[in-house]
Amino acid sequence: MNTLSLAARLARRELRGGLAGFRIFFACLVLGVAAIAGVGSLADAMLAGMASQGSVLLGGDVSVQLVHRETTPQEHAFLAQHGKVSEIAMLRGMGYAIKHGAEAERQLIEIKAIDHAYPLYGSVGLAPATPLTDALRCSGKICGAAVEQTLLDHLHMKRGDTLRIGTQDFRISAVLTGEPDRLSGGFSFGPHVMVSMDALKRTGLVTIGSLIDYYYRVAMPPGADVNAFRKQADAAFPDAGWQLRDRTNAAPGTKRFIEQVSMFLTLVGLTALAVAGVGAGQAVSAFLDRKREEIATLKSMGAEGGLIFLTFFLQVMAIALLAVLTGLILGAIMPFAVGHFFGDEIPAPAIYTVYAGPLILAAIFGILSAAAFSIPPLARAREIAPASLFRDIVAPVHARGRVPYLIAAALAGLVVIVLATVISPYPAFALWFIAGAAGALLILRVVAMGLRWSLRKIPRPRNTTFRLALANLTRPGAATSSVVVALGLGLTLLATVTLLDNTISSQVKDSLPGTAPSFFFVDIQPGQTQAFDAVIHRFKSATDYRRSPMIRGRITALNGVPSKDVKAAASAKWVLNGDRGITYASTPPDHTEITAGKWWPADYSGDTQISFDAEAADGLGLKLGSTVTLNVLGRELKGTVTSFRHVDFSNGRQNFVMILSPGIIDKAPHDYLATVRVEGADEEAMYRAVTDKFPNISTVRVKDAIAAVNGLLQQLSDGVRAASLVTILAGLFVLAGAISAGQRARLYDSTVLKVLGATRARIASVYAIEYGLIGVITGAIALAAGTLGAWLVTKYVFDVDLVFDAGAALLTVAGGGAATLLFGLGAAWAALSAKPAALLRAP
Amino acid sequence: MTAAIDLQDIRLTLSSAAGPVNILSGVSLSVAPGEAIALLGPSGSGKSSLLMVAAGLEAPTQGRVSIAGTDITRMGEDELARFRRDHIGIVFQSFHLIPTMTALENVAVPLELAGASDAFAKAKAELEAVGLGKRLDHYPGQLSGGEQQRVALARAIAPRPSVLFADEPTGNLDTHTGEEISELLFALHTRAKTTLFLVTHEERLAQQCGRIVRLKDGLIVADERK
Repeated sequence: MNTLSLAARLARRELRGGLAGFRIFFACLVLGVAAIAGVGSLADAMLAGMASQGSVLLGGDVSVQLVHRETTPQEHAFLAQHGKVSEIAMLRGMGYAIKHGAEAERQLIEIKAIDHAYPLYGSVGLAPATPLTDALRCSGKICGAAVEQTLLDHLHMKRGDTLRIGTQDFRISAVLTGEPDRLSGGFSFGPHVMVSMDALKRTGLVTIGSLIDYYYRVAMPPGADVNAFRKQADAAFPDAGWQLRDRTNAAPGTKRFIEQVSMFLTLVGLTALAVAGVGAGQAVSAFLDRKREEIATLKSMGAEGGLIFLTFFLQVMAIALLAVLTGLILGAIMPFAVGHFFGDEIPAPAIYTVYAGPLILAAIFGILSAAAFSIPPLARAREIAPASLFRDIVAPVHARGRVPYLIAAALAGLVVIVLATVISPYPAFALWFIAGAAGALLILRVVAMGLRWSLRKIPRPRNTTFRLALANLTRPGAATSSVVVALGLGLTLLATVTLLDNTISSQVKDSLPGTAPSFFFVDIQPGQTQAFDAVIHRFKSATDYRRSPMIRGRITALNGVPSKDVKAAASAKWVLNGDRGITYASTPPDHTEITAGKWWPADYSGDTQISFDAEAADGLGLKLGSTVTLNVLGRELKGTVTSFRHVDFSNGRQNFVMILSPGIIDKAPHDYLATVRVEGADEEAMYRAVTDKFPNISTVRVKDAIAAVNGLLQQLSDGVRAASLVTILAGLFVLAGAISAGQRARLYDSTVLKVLGATRARIASVYAIEYGLIGVITGAIALAAGTLGAWLVTKYVFDVDLVFDAGAALLTVAGGGAATLLFGLGAAWAALSAKPAALLRAP
Repeated sequence: MTAAIDLQDIRLTLSSAAGPVNILSGVSLSVAPGEAIALLGPSGSGKSSLLMVAAGLEAPTQGRVSIAGTDITRMGEDELARFRRDHIGIVFQSFHLIPTMTALENVAVPLELAGASDAFAKAKAELEAVGLGKRLDHYPGQLSGGEQQRVALARAIAPRPSVLFADEPTGNLDTHTGEEISELLFALHTRAKTTLFLVTHEERLAQQCGRIVRLKDGLIVADERK
């Protein structure tokens, strides 16, 4: 007879026993699978939404971005050939609330100037609903503006009030509640203010060299080929220096963000599955332990080991399948639930439907993890000798599983790792994360074994309560090891994330203000430099004042190889993506550290030489003597790298990847960037002095920027911490499983202790010490492992020193202890409340 | 004639926390086909261990075990399982029925293991033969101790083994039920013409066998034939 069909039949009969003993296995698997399926489905919903809304998000089917300049008539004509064109300009500026005819409060704003064609796709949200052209119309000396509510809040203004930008006054005609193309814009330094293109020209902010980004969006006829457009544009205007984007990748930053977060959360889900696996292994072991007699009976009747393995493997897999299905259903529902309850906070337009991809992936992860962790105990069960029916207590059989089974389990685990790595957009990160989790698992396992060994070796305390608690921790079948491993992994992740978050935010919050300037002043016109310097020098506490010429340009080729064909290291790709700030200088700025080559003579004005950031140059494969081709204001500029500098971007100061020698670049129209540090009350005074005198200069208060970045970091780390709770929850499931597995023994113990005269308080304190000890020890191990993990990441990824946070440490240890204690005592309640007579009467 | 069971100089030493324990110290015994033999001895004399060695459930430390002319001493685990399936039936003191299976399914299992196509029909007939025709779909938990042992007997005899091993089959039953079971056991032995190897510490039960072997401290001290 076919062994498989017989095994299936026996397994089916076995399953009549129900899920008893498999509840934890089931819950753990559901949790892990639901987390992975849910995160993947939500990410797919957002990515699909973004893909379907590509034209709306981009503002057109294709978009051309130019820095500093508008299109030439030829370029504009070319764009117009392909469809309807809309032009917008984006720049930073200062907005002044006009109160009683004078400039009162002020704020850095993002100005978005639009033409009549805007928006080509989607619609702008205004409150009250007004036609956009009416809202922004200029009448006489005043123009209309739509602003975000945050600006009104900050400047204490309301609709109808006057806002001054540059030299132009605007009447706030509406509140800007939605921009269809907002996502493609990237990080904003201030609230958005929407004005008309005509009005922008009246502000006086548009001068040659001012930091303005011009976007030209084209609505192409249906069926038009965006790739063909790209090719034609490149061929027709090879030196335009514009950046082309199309609807297929409308908001690359947001897309990248979603992909990164989704990958990270998938890895957290996998960690939860690994924790679940520990629980699953424990549950299967406990189940098979109960089935020992049955297995031995079957064997005594002639069942071969292979049949035994297959019977129970099928059974475990059937339950796993049910759990996976439940997890998939929950995961598939998750995007709908998130959309329903948190729809407003979703960063991208989402299409809520069922996505097969993430569900299939989660199912594969779930099944393979269940197999990887349950095969070893099943393989041991295969070796149960029929003689154990007679003599297990005299000579217990401790067989190990046979090698082929263990190889199969390892292979299942390996497939999970390979798959998680392959599907990740950042395989190296995925691999490091998995290696970290596996390392933590190994450390916890070894420590757990060491712990049991050493607890057994230490002299027994004289105090009965302590003695009993210690005995409980070390007795055969005690759950100490699996609880330490399962709960420890989640706590390790939490400790790592908390310490990383603490290090990064203290870097931003504490270290940066130590080195960073108080202000960045952008768009200082050449004619304003002397007056500007004079204002700054009025402040006695002003230090580290530095004013540099600044112009934006894009690298178009390195050593003659076009940027898009350059094989750059991942860490240096950003240098080639979009425009970079470029400066020039005769002498090296203060604190410059030349690492190789030589700076040009102070009076040099020949062919352009470039001093390049050493680390970025390394990633781009640049050597001394390499050539760099830049596009500045639509013109090509070629220079030779003659020195490398060490640039520390983390200090928040003026840092330029490229500093050019004067001679050519200084002839291009440009303006200036300045930074300065001031102390105490001078900060507010300087802010007012500069913004009063120079309405065209954008004043970025570093404190505000740090607060904004910190806010973002905080949100991100809160999300990550919430995600790591999934792992801890899985750990608590395992803990609950371990406790319920030991429940019978506990019931027996407490009955005997009661018979011998122990009060319930005494027994409860034994359990409290036992679980409290496990929890605190687990928390301490997790903290040590988490500190190690966080230290490795801060040292080798962020290159900063780890900032140890005693509060976070305490939280991990105490949290671990408290959770274990609560669960332990909660579960022990049944044992405490059992009446001795009931158990003693039982046969 | 080939012996149904042939044990040659069987020695069994087991390890325990307190060191090695000698369970059997050189037992030789030959049982003829169809014979009913009782192994009698006090607790710890080694009688259950001898049954396990003879039934291929435990490998002896030394000596040779042959069942129906086949030397099973050096067989591998799965080979032994197949051999038991085809030649051996076992009845345990504590029944060892599978709790998630009905009486019918419990009896059918060894037949299914042997690949019998009419496993359930045969199992039904066996259960009817032990008087449980109306209890086919009952689970072990729904049966009395005596009924459970009847199911176990039916299960052991169903594949028509050449040797039926019974380890204290009435040990967990009250006197009256024990008598019923022992009657049934001998009736089945007679009907199936199988060799019966009975381990017991009850003199009265042993007396129903044609041969009584007495064991003490892992050695045969008497071998009586009626």
